[in-house]
Amino acid sequence: MKKQALYITLFSLLLSIIWSCERDDICIEENTPHLIIRFFDHENPTEYKKVINLKVQIEGIDGDYTNETITALTDSIAIPVKVTEDITSFKLILNGNNQDDANEDIFDLNYIREDVFVSRSCGYKTLYYDVTTSLINDNNNWIKSIETVKDPQDILNQNSDHVKIFH
Amino acid sequence: MLKYFISILFIFLFFSAFSQEKTMDTVKYKDRYGLRIGIDIFQPVYSLFDKDKKGLEFVGDFRITKRFYVAAELGYSEATSKEDYFEFYTNGQYIKAGVDFNAYKNWIGMENMIVVGLRYAFSTFDQTLNEYTVNADPFLPNQTITTPVSYDGLNAQWIEFVLGLKAEILHNVFMGFSFRWNQMVTSKEPENFKNLYVPGFNKVYLNDNGFGFNYTISYLLPFYRK
Repeated sequence: MKKQALYITLFSLLLSIIWSCERDDICIEENTPHLIIRFFDHENPTEYKKVINLKVQIEGIDGDYTNETITALTDSIAIPVKVTEDITSFKLILNGNNQDDANEDIFDLNYIREDVFVSRSCGYKTLYYDVTTSLINDNNNWIKSIETVKDPQDILNQNSDHVKIFH
Repeated sequence: MLKYFISILFIFLFFSAFSQEKTMDTVKYKDRYGLRIGIDIFQPVYSLFDKDKKGLEFVGDFRITKRFYVAAELGYSEATSKEDYFEFYTNGQYIKAGVDFNAYKNWIGMENMIVVGLRYAFSTFDQTLNEYTVNADPFLPNQTITTPVSYDGLNAQWIEFVLGLKAEILHNVFMGFSFRWNQMVTSKEPENFKNLYVPGFNKVYLNDNGFGFNYTISYLLPFYRK
């Protein structure tokens, strides 16, 4: 009987060690959505128009935002929106690779934030409601106009575009 | 009357044969029936190594037939769970009730068990979200929101499948352990959060199941023999 008790003790000790080594599930759900912008031709507002050598910066953050959606020639980009403030200022630079030709335009995105629980591994994501845009006029805008796709516009996922830019 | 004498003798012969069999069977062993009460020592020992988990559990069972026992657990637990993007605290109590089947055929006089059991469990508890950080693009500046959010009056019900061992190590003193596989039945979920830890159930996995373990020392109060 004493032998039996010893086996029980050893066995449960071993199992409690195994127990502590389990790893959590990985995050596969969609987290905080990016802002999706599509570029249109201002002379022909139903046609997509590609942007050449676009560079994206966010005010208050150093460096360029690089992502596979921002390539040399693109008509659609996905960029992050601040989760700590109710406004994000974006700097879209046309011909960003060339100092002389570069044209810098700034627009503000205003919204109401809500943090929504997703899962154990993903935590919380931010959703943006009542999104509005305003272009800063600098007398040499390459962006002719900017508008949200819907009114009111929410950013809840990345399934479709949220903002249209005409240039 | 005399002419039946031989026949009457034959009847008595049968009677004597019956009584013979009865007297040969008197060594039948009677099993002990009683209430066994105990305490889980795994949780207190575990808390020495993991300061985030605390708990206490009492166990008990009562033998109803040769191989079946009515069994129950009563406990309290508090736990702080740290995840990648948030941290939360759970505290509450639980009760589990069901049956244990002894799958082990004992030698005469032994009372060891291979436990195969089933429980229905109920827990009431509170959750507090201590802090969280939004899961967003790492390019963005981020902050940890440290305002705690309380979710009180939550509850959960689940089924447990039990597998375990129990051995009598001293007279009337039993030591044993059990593994539990839990499947959630219903739970009252908090708004904009989830019951990721439930007292008694432990960590709630993605498909609403979980695992449990206890290591018990218990004492048998024998009531009668049968």
